[in-house]
Amino acid sequence: MKVSFDWLKDFVDVQAAPPEVADRLTMAGLEVEGVEDVGDDVLFEVNVTPNRPDCLSILGIARETAAAFGLPLKTPAAEIGGELPPAGVTVEIIAPELCHRYAGRLITGIKVADSPAWIKDRLEKCGIRSLNSNIVDVTNYVLLELGHPLHAFDADKLAESMIRIATAGEKASIATLDGVERKLPAEALLIWDSRRPVAVAGIMGGEESSVKSDTVNIFLESAYFLPSSIRRTSKKLGLRTESSYRFERGTDIEFLEKALDRAAFLIRETGGGEVHAIVDVYPRKYVPLRVEADHRRINSLLGTDISKDEMRNMLSGAGIRTEDHGETFAAFPPAYRRDVTRYVDLAEEVARIYNYDNIPVTLPKTPLSGGGVTRKEKDREQLHESMRKSGFTEVINYSFMNPADLDLLALPDDDIRRRHVSVLNPLRQEDSLMRTTLLPSLLNNFVYNISRGAGDLRLYELSKVFIDRGERLPDEESRLGGIFYREGLPSIWKEEAPAFFTLKGALGSLFGELKVGDVEFVQSEEVFLHSGKSADMVREGRKLGFIGELAPGVVESLRLKVRKPEVLVFEMDVEVLLSFVPETLRYSPVPKYPPIERDVALILDEHITAAAVRKVINEFGSPYMEDVELFDAYRGKNIPEKKKSLAFRIIYRSPDRTLTDDEVETVHQELVEFILRETGGEIRG
Amino acid sequence: MDELPSLKQQFLEETDRISDLAGLQLVRAKYLGKKGIVTSQLKALSSVPADKRREYGKALNEMKGFAEETLKGLELSLKETEKAKRLLAEKTDITLPGRFTPFGRRHPISQVLSEIEDIFVSMGFRVEDGPEIELDYYNFEALNIPKDHPARDMQDTFYVSDDVVLRTHTSPVQVRVMEKHKPPLKIIAPGKVYRCDADVSHTAMFHQVEGLMVDTDISFSDLKGVLELFIHTFFGRDIPVRFRPSYFPFTEPSAEVDMGCIFCSGGGCRMCKGTGWIEILGSGLVNPRVFEMAGYNSEDYTGFAFGMGVERITLLKYSIDDIRLFFENDIRFLRQF
Repeated sequence: MKVSFDWLKDFVDVQAAPPEVADRLTMAGLEVEGVEDVGDDVLFEVNVTPNRPDCLSILGIARETAAAFGLPLKTPAAEIGGELPPAGVTVEIIAPELCHRYAGRLITGIKVADSPAWIKDRLEKCGIRSLNSNIVDVTNYVLLELGHPLHAFDADKLAESMIRIATAGEKASIATLDGVERKLPAEALLIWDSRRPVAVAGIMGGEESSVKSDTVNIFLESAYFLPSSIRRTSKKLGLRTESSYRFERGTDIEFLEKALDRAAFLIRETGGGEVHAIVDVYPRKYVPLRVEADHRRINSLLGTDISKDEMRNMLSGAGIRTEDHGETFAAFPPAYRRDVTRYVDLAEEVARIYNYDNIPVTLPKTPLSGGGVTRKEKDREQLHESMRKSGFTEVINYSFMNPADLDLLALPDDDIRRRHVSVLNPLRQEDSLMRTTLLPSLLNNFVYNISRGAGDLRLYELSKVFIDRGERLPDEESRLGGIFYREGLPSIWKEEAPAFFTLKGALGSLFGELKVGDVEFVQSEEVFLHSGKSADMVREGRKLGFIGELAPGVVESLRLKVRKPEVLVFEMDVEVLLSFVPETLRYSPVPKYPPIERDVALILDEHITAAAVRKVINEFGSPYMEDVELFDAYRGKNIPEKKKSLAFRIIYRSPDRTLTDDEVETVHQELVEFILRETGGEIRG
Repeated sequence: MDELPSLKQQFLEETDRISDLAGLQLVRAKYLGKKGIVTSQLKALSSVPADKRREYGKALNEMKGFAEETLKGLELSLKETEKAKRLLAEKTDITLPGRFTPFGRRHPISQVLSEIEDIFVSMGFRVEDGPEIELDYYNFEALNIPKDHPARDMQDTFYVSDDVVLRTHTSPVQVRVMEKHKPPLKIIAPGKVYRCDADVSHTAMFHQVEGLMVDTDISFSDLKGVLELFIHTFFGRDIPVRFRPSYFPFTEPSAEVDMGCIFCSGGGCRMCKGTGWIEILGSGLVNPRVFEMAGYNSEDYTGFAFGMGVERITLLKYSIDDIRLFFENDIRFLRQF
């Protein structure tokens, strides 16, 4: 909210310079976000929090300024003088639960004209356009000055000079001042004359009954409407005004006739006319709240040591009357401070006036407790570190995805990743779904970076995805995903493994770090992956995730010029992965006796996998076989067509003695024969 | 016998011409080998007349000793030279790059999150997690933000349905934890939050760290102590910290925490909008209504809660001027951290 310093001085004789006033207000909870010089005035931009509607006016800010500097508050002229009887308009509140008070004055014989310069000037400084009508300008002026919204009707347009306050009911509509014909929700509170709605209460007046250049008699309204009702209607209509903004936060029901008088006074000053006596219907009288307080309790809450009398003085400075009860006291917040309802609110008032900076700084007396990080978090940290050490850089993407992404990946209809959660009000249609997989984001990262000249890319993300399983809230599952691309730019040191195996190796070190063994790589069914260069990672029949090269179609659809077609991706279910991390670790003794190594080079049918041969070797199961290592895989020259060669190194060792060459040779020969028998292969000569 | 001095002369001349170990071996064989000159002459001593034999034998042995010494010395120095030559030949361009796969980097937000977590964990806080897609009840109602309350305007909300939202803050974790655990409580809840808002200083998703401490006797001064300790640990001992009144529906009293501007040391600059202060945290004492909603007796307990924006802290830490950089994931940006 914009506050003119010059206007503020109408209410409080503050001598301090604007920056100091701004500082004091900020420290009292009215954050001054900006101080701007405009001609011979200074404008404050004050951030008024929703709990302080009483500060949405010059008066409110002045009240706080006066309290902060210990100065008296001045009130502006509002003397109406000898009044005419409340002739004419009758007021009837049909919905008193939504309209607790309704007051008004008839002003006859006015002349609608331009406002005086000083009114225009102040309105414009505070961000309201002057409308070439002294009547409208004055209601706006009083709204800014005193924080109470007012509305002026052309009294001659009110059928049967009647004001009724009632809800819309079925099928009510009104053309509002902004020229829009609006259908009104049934529970909207309206101002009616004898026949039709003339205003949406507290939000905007109707066009027909509005003050125009030829208006001579007006009815000026000042009322209290229930905040939640105004807010609901304002939201439903999508119509927010200075007026609704204040009503929905709460206005001062006890003060509204003063605002009415001030406006009537200014209208008479600027447009002439005669002011009639007030009509005031007040069915729901304001009952001041009584808040029981104990200064000891407030002190213990704040960590202060303020005496009861001091505390009562402070509250009285904030406009809160108190009553001494010996040990304790009672407080009666004014009608404009409806936010103060409990002792904690009083504590805040005390703290505010005492100044937060003067409250001591202590550390809690709570005994030490084992804080810390759970096992799961440590494991997640391992995931990050593992990826990082394999050269992958972490990305963090928005949790959104584009509906088109699911089709890009050609996911089948029954795929779990199609069970997504949609956002009703996305910023863009492309961000309207919550991610069910990290893949689309990683592809975006890939496109973004490659099109900006990156030739080598290793990215990963560890984030949640959201799967709608029909419960009230979706399942939130952690995924670790990554993308790997290598242009193979000329490099001084050669010898790189194919991309698939480089990525597989990175995941291998990750499994090693976590001590998750026995992960099998089996043929993957993922449709967006290259069917020949992809795998599902499985342990004990549970799928950890997938790894593989993107299918050519997917890469093409990215419409990106890449030098190499191989774009590798992976994604894993973190919960499943971490469920295999062993809970405890047991030491096994370091071998005392030397190993003996034997190699076997095989020629096999090309469809026999390395894993299958390894499985055969493991089945053989000699107690002396310590380790099996594949050290060569070859296809081509010297190997018959449709065959391939695999060479294994077997390490034999006994935990309790040195093995002899002869006994190892015997075992090894048996093993070789077993392999040949089981695989149908032969020894490579 | 007379030829001995000339033999020595000849030996020295030949020795002078030795340029490598092979040459040295030749010379050694020629003089000292089985059939070498000196060896042969020694063998032939018996044919020397007896009166001269003794003297001649002595001279020959001296000659032998001299030749051995000389060649040994020469061999040593030749070996040194050859070693040096070999090393020279193997000299490599040590300025060529090393072969390595550069480690990747953690995202700056991730790094700062860890740093924040570590500080609170060291103070005995436990790390908690909660859903990002949250019930309206936990995100708003249980935090004393009823429907139709203007405080809802403070946060632009993404809706999934009437009663399900993308959480707008990490505060719902407070309530979920309180429903499950009795005090004393000391938790932080880091995570993603969402607001329907996007410009230079706002993104539709960002990260917060929520904190909550509840016990029988927690005061506002304790809140000040813990948060000052945090800011001093994170930003440095000498950073001034101030608390000023603010409003959050779930705390009362509420406080905004500012720290002295680290760019201008309080003198006033663009980053602090000339005020010398930078807003860093929201905090306050837990509103008794929140305790009541979570099933605590608000007469028995007090506590404080706080929340901070991780992006904001990261922007400050690295002087980054556009929050959107965090989610563009440009590798040239990410590799700097």
